[in-house]
Amino acid sequence: MLMDHIRGPWTIAVYTWREGMRKKTLIGFLILSILVILGSSFMTAFMTQTTVGEAQTDIEAKLIKDICVAAISIFGVLITIFISASVVPTEVENKVVYTVLSKPVRRFEYLLGKFIGVQLIVIINLVLMGGLFFIALYLKQRILPTLLLWSIFLTYFEFLIVSAFTFAVSCASSSAVLPTIAGLFIYITGNMTEYLKDVYVRAGQTGLWIDELTGKLAYGLYQVLPNLQNFSLRNQVLYLQPNDPPRDVMIPNLIVYGLVYAVAGYLIAYWVFRRKEL
Amino acid sequence: MSVVIETHSLTKVYEAAFRGQDVHALEDLNLEIHSGEIFGYLGPNGSGKTTTIKLLLGLIFPTSGSMEILGNKDIGSPAIRKKIGYLPEGAYYPDFLRGEEVLRFYGQLYGLGGAELRKRVAEALETVGMTRARMRLVRGYSKGMRQRIGLAQALLNDPQILILDEPTTGLDPIARKEIRDILANLRDEGKTLLISSHELLEVELISDRVGILSEGVLQMSGKLDDLLTNREVIISVLNAPPQALEKLAAAGIQAEDRVEDRVALRIPDTVSVYQALEMCRAENLALQSIAPRRETLEELFVRVIKDAQPRVPIGAAEKKGS
Repeated sequence: MLMDHIRGPWTIAVYTWREGMRKKTLIGFLILSILVILGSSFMTAFMTQTTVGEAQTDIEAKLIKDICVAAISIFGVLITIFISASVVPTEVENKVVYTVLSKPVRRFEYLLGKFIGVQLIVIINLVLMGGLFFIALYLKQRILPTLLLWSIFLTYFEFLIVSAFTFAVSCASSSAVLPTIAGLFIYITGNMTEYLKDVYVRAGQTGLWIDELTGKLAYGLYQVLPNLQNFSLRNQVLYLQPNDPPRDVMIPNLIVYGLVYAVAGYLIAYWVFRRKEL
Repeated sequence: MSVVIETHSLTKVYEAAFRGQDVHALEDLNLEIHSGEIFGYLGPNGSGKTTTIKLLLGLIFPTSGSMEILGNKDIGSPAIRKKIGYLPEGAYYPDFLRGEEVLRFYGQLYGLGGAELRKRVAEALETVGMTRARMRLVRGYSKGMRQRIGLAQALLNDPQILILDEPTTGLDPIARKEIRDILANLRDEGKTLLISSHELLEVELISDRVGILSEGVLQMSGKLDDLLTNREVIISVLNAPPQALEKLAAAGIQAEDRVEDRVALRIPDTVSVYQALEMCRAENLALQSIAPRRETLEELFVRVIKDAQPRVPIGAAEKKGS
């Protein structure tokens, strides 16, 4: 009985993954990111040598880290948003959804399959990009960059949240444009929630009603929106030793935090899709 | 024969956003489709055919009314969907997959696996004549082959009911004939087929009963033999001069289909064949043949659509009569 409920979503997930990995836009982003990551290692070869020995290696490693962390963040989130925004609207447009939902597959299972498929794509891309970064850094410093692995692991949960909410918006949309914009919005605001807190703290000082309203609005958004900065180990990757353990982060808590938001996003997607007219 | 698909006052209204006008896609539809028959569901573009199919499949939801499939009102339940095969119009099949892989994907959605899945895929490919092309990528398939693969995915679960939306549209005459033969064979195997189509000749050739829909209202429904009741007589004559044809036209006998020196005269209900023959003899026309002629489905369709009274459902009346 349980297998019946798992088989359908898993079949859809594998199909989504196989189809998604063939999308030209996604392949384009992936190739670009790989070029940037590989390019960072080559760039260090052309750097003017200002110091000698270990110090020079550290400078070169920092350059690689700087470029690669940025590349993974930018291309990773673009891939995540692009694929999360497009899988459902594309299937509605080309009518594949009709042939799938006319089979003994419930909408809940269909969406679960699509969502898992998206996560497979995101994970594989992250592993590819992170793997290259890992190799580049190891070759430069000859130390296993375990901290980088933690950073990539947490980056996935950041992408998971962005993906879940983009996916939810895509279920209400007939094209990928609106969910792509929504995904970028979630990613940007999710990385700026500390500013919302600042707005809340500073608001209310003038006594004007608009000021107070802005403060309450900022507080509300601060409470609701995920704080994606929690998942960032960027500074630690840049400034700590490659094999240092992550500091000042509760990884199990962050995993739960990410999963709670992902489940919420998925449930919103289902709530929107369960009565959607196809 | 038992009723396998039944709708009761089924109505679908697409509510307009903002200040637009609501679209009444389907009005008070009462439809019965019997076990083991091919039901041709006809209508012009936008008449509500696809809306009906989507409602039956649970892809959209009725504004009012209800539906029953195999006596079950829970249209969306997996138990019902296991008994239905569906071919949508112009569906896309992933072109990076091989024909067999497409069927394996859909078979897995039916909960099939292992040897059973392999057996069903092979049977479906055999039924639609795609066994030899099963390992080719879908992107290399012709339109007819894609349609066959679509039909094969609808057959994987050995369904009791097949719902086919425009199964022969865009196909060449040979492919149409082959699909038509496959559908007739499926009917002979005891399956019930609901075929929505614009191809009236195709529908006429294989359907047991038809329903004609216009502007969301079922205008006519019943057995083809009962509906195509307008029977006429055609008298073919040779070397008819224009003056003679004018006299015949004045009596209601219209000349049509002039081929070289031969003219076909259509005899209306108001004139008996004997009277017509007498008039032909009076004009010294050389008689070539006398033949009965039944109205075609296309003529019936055009007549019904022209006479259609929008928003006056007759489904309930037809249902009582059938």
